[in-house]
Amino acid sequence: MKKILLASVLGLSIASAGLVEDAAKLDVKKVCDVKANGAAKVVAVAEKFNPEAVKLGVEFKRLGITNRKYIKFTKEAIKAKKKVVAIKYKKKKKEKVKKFPLDYAAWRACTFAVRALQEHKEADKTWRLAVPGDGYKF
Amino acid sequence: MKKKIIASLLVGSFALLSASNFSAQADKDRKALQAYFEKKFASEKSAATFFPYSTKEELSKSYKWGIKGDEFRLGSYAFDKIGRAQHDELMDMPPFEDNIDNGKELYEKTPGMKKCFPDPAIAGDYPKFVKGKGVVTLSNAVVACAKANKQKGWKLTKGKTADLEAYFANASKEKGKKVHIVINSKEAAAAYERGKKEYYTQRGYLKLSCATCHVQGAGQRVRNEKLSPLFGHVTHFPVYRLKWQGLGTLERRIKGCNKNQGETPHKPGSTWTKEMLYFMGYMSNGLPVDGPDIRK
Repeated sequence: MKKILLASVLGLSIASAGLVEDAAKLDVKKVCDVKANGAAKVVAVAEKFNPEAVKLGVEFKRLGITNRKYIKFTKEAIKAKKKVVAIKYKKKKKEKVKKFPLDYAAWRACTFAVRALQEHKEADKTWRLAVPGDGYKF
Repeated sequence: MKKKIIASLLVGSFALLSASNFSAQADKDRKALQAYFEKKFASEKSAATFFPYSTKEELSKSYKWGIKGDEFRLGSYAFDKIGRAQHDELMDMPPFEDNIDNGKELYEKTPGMKKCFPDPAIAGDYPKFVKGKGVVTLSNAVVACAKANKQKGWKLTKGKTADLEAYFANASKEKGKKVHIVINSKEAAAAYERGKKEYYTQRGYLKLSCATCHVQGAGQRVRNEKLSPLFGHVTHFPVYRLKWQGLGTLERRIKGCNKNQGETPHKPGSTWTKEMLYFMGYMSNGLPVDGPDIRK
């Protein structure tokens, strides 16, 4: 039982490291290019990487909208063949709606998901550079 | 008898030695941080290096120079002349006086609160590392105590918790207490290191670390405000923020900062927040407790 548990924990952490590594290899401009790949494919990239960003506590959020919302409502717009994505979110306990062109919302969801993981990996090498007495000289 | 005394002395000194071993890196970090800020705010001459975008006029008119040690307990008001003048005017009639009174009442009337905190002058002793629980902030301890005594409506960020903390901070200030965070185990040192890493990690779509604003950026002007320094950050909490129109705890402020970085903020009771506050607390070790206070 212990072995199974250990194997599954190990498996999960390898899978997690795998997604970060996969994201690190990507060229954001290319994979999130809506004109070249189409909105559906671009959102699929976001859908692949964003759950990992959430798990690691590094998910991006802008103007009160989490990347989860960008992905969810962009997918719904694609399904309904709409050109505008209406994102519903809460700000200070009030329901709000913001509208974005479909291409823009798909691009944003994708870049946010991939960059969150890339930044997470980059940080391992860069964080000490800002510590006085360590990497930061003054 | 003699043997017993020698043995207990030996055990005591080993305990002290090992405690200082666990905090050796943190002490080194804190000293380097203090040295950095003292150099940064030493004189107008040093300002040329640290404030490349400020004009000579701004540097001489709106900054106070030669800031040392304890003065950093005031945060940005240690060096921001204009901000300090406004702060001092507001302090003629502090808006948090009622909160302190309310905090005192809560301390005396809430069942179990006196038992949990026999001495109210404890604001500088938190966060603590508790074996089996990890880092416990003052807000965590207060809310846990209220919960254990079946009290409702205690949040980590504001309201009754913030009021009680205002009373604790005021009692600590009146007793001349200093920030005294302890790292006394391998696990505590590891929690400190994780908090430190998160503090210096660039995050969110703006790719800002906490240090971008509060270490490297401290003292620089953003619109008409000067950014506050990490050294001395925790000394004056809870604070009455004009933006909030009320009192808030460190957890509340951290959540706001995290949001401003462009990231889904970590929850106030999360391990991330607690370890971040543990690191921040240690960085102000030795500074006098100066809360509650007012901020914009």
